[in-house]
Amino acid sequence: MKEFVLYTGCTTPVRLPAYEAAVTVVLEKLGVRLIPMKDVNCCGAQYIESLSHTAFAAMSGRILAIAESMDRDILAICGACSGSLKAVKHDLDSNKVLRAEVNELLADEGLKYTGTVEVKHLLQIFNEDIGYDAIKAAIVKPYHGVRLAAHYGCHVTRPPEIVHVDDPENPVIIDTIIEAAGATPVDYVGKTRCCGGPMLAMDEEVANKIGLDKIKNIRDEKADGIVTACVFCDIQLTQVQFGDMAGDEPKIPVLTLPQFLGPAMGINFDSLGIQLNKIDPQAILQEM
Amino acid sequence: MSHDEVKQQPPINHAPSSNFAKEVEQEFYGDGIMKCIQCGMCTASCMVASMTERYRPRMLIQKILLGKREEVLSSELPWLCMTCRLCEERCQEDVNLSEIFHAVREIAAREGYIPQVFRNTINKVLEDGWLLNDAYTDFVEDDRSDLGLDPKLSWNNDFVKKIKKRYFEGVTKK
Repeated sequence: MKEFVLYTGCTTPVRLPAYEAAVTVVLEKLGVRLIPMKDVNCCGAQYIESLSHTAFAAMSGRILAIAESMDRDILAICGACSGSLKAVKHDLDSNKVLRAEVNELLADEGLKYTGTVEVKHLLQIFNEDIGYDAIKAAIVKPYHGVRLAAHYGCHVTRPPEIVHVDDPENPVIIDTIIEAAGATPVDYVGKTRCCGGPMLAMDEEVANKIGLDKIKNIRDEKADGIVTACVFCDIQLTQVQFGDMAGDEPKIPVLTLPQFLGPAMGINFDSLGIQLNKIDPQAILQEM
Repeated sequence: MSHDEVKQQPPINHAPSSNFAKEVEQEFYGDGIMKCIQCGMCTASCMVASMTERYRPRMLIQKILLGKREEVLSSELPWLCMTCRLCEERCQEDVNLSEIFHAVREIAAREGYIPQVFRNTINKVLEDGWLLNDAYTDFVEDDRSDLGLDPKLSWNNDFVKKIKKRYFEGVTKK
């Protein structure tokens, strides 16, 4: 069985623990075991990253060094975290001065970054480590007649030369998995656009307009639900549907990718945390 | 208008008013700025620009190239980029706008221009080691237990204190 250390990031354990639970149980069933990381820190995305590139490199660098000490590659399930860890790995591998500075800080704890671990986002685990044939073989209760819109997440697929996940202009991994589970993937206007989440800090109204624009484009295609691969996107695309600007159209359920896949693999709803979803996805899940 | 009359006009100065672009170029990943040809593909791609008139990435790059240092550093503009990189994906000249704006934010931060929301969040992260310490309630703990997850989150806050001392002493104070 393949093993990865799981870096949850700050948001998932608190705001979307069902994602953490669903990832763990779905991957285990597909032959990938996750080992929790202890005593880690925030990767520094967006905030520390904006103020000091060196401090950002030290924070993500420490996470990479802890994974090295555990002798396992990292799975990151948040778009921001996977993007940060990959960008910092790229920097530390190509900039000796930066690496020396980070290692000086890590030395107090007996940690050292040498560059031996890889960072993977969840989509890569499905695509590269498990494969679509194995996913298809694990489907015992396929979906029928459900139309689903994939939302990939900006930092999951961009910048492509650093993150190496899918084609950033025409990503297919989530869509392929939707199809493998018997449902119908639907395209929509602005599929690779942002959910608006990173704008919440500076301007909530603009952030929500961006999120609702995506919801409208998805609704126009008469999708029954949205499948996500990043905790921020999942929360943002859910919460915008409850805001003042949302209108009174029926809400579109949002599912993380493992929450979508799990039921088709015969995993019970409770261990996937389906009951915690803010928008009830029963309309999707009963079509099996 | 005769040829002589044209000659009498004062010359228009196209030189930047400061070396701000050169300064940005020296920062981590700031060097892409000189590749910009001001085509506007970034603004056309930008979801923030589509929802508010306050932000145009092409114009922000232009301000930097023109040397409008104080105007840019003291404004909210560099902080309105979502870093979604849709513009970078489409830029035909490979200009890495989100990294350039990060570089500008670093310069702005060194001079004390940090939006309050960033200041607050950074102070939290540099205290707790992670973002959501205050949001981790008993209810969430119960949810985690019900899901079979460890309710005890073991975030490290020693390392961020070292980071704060080394890189942020004085920078994030109110």
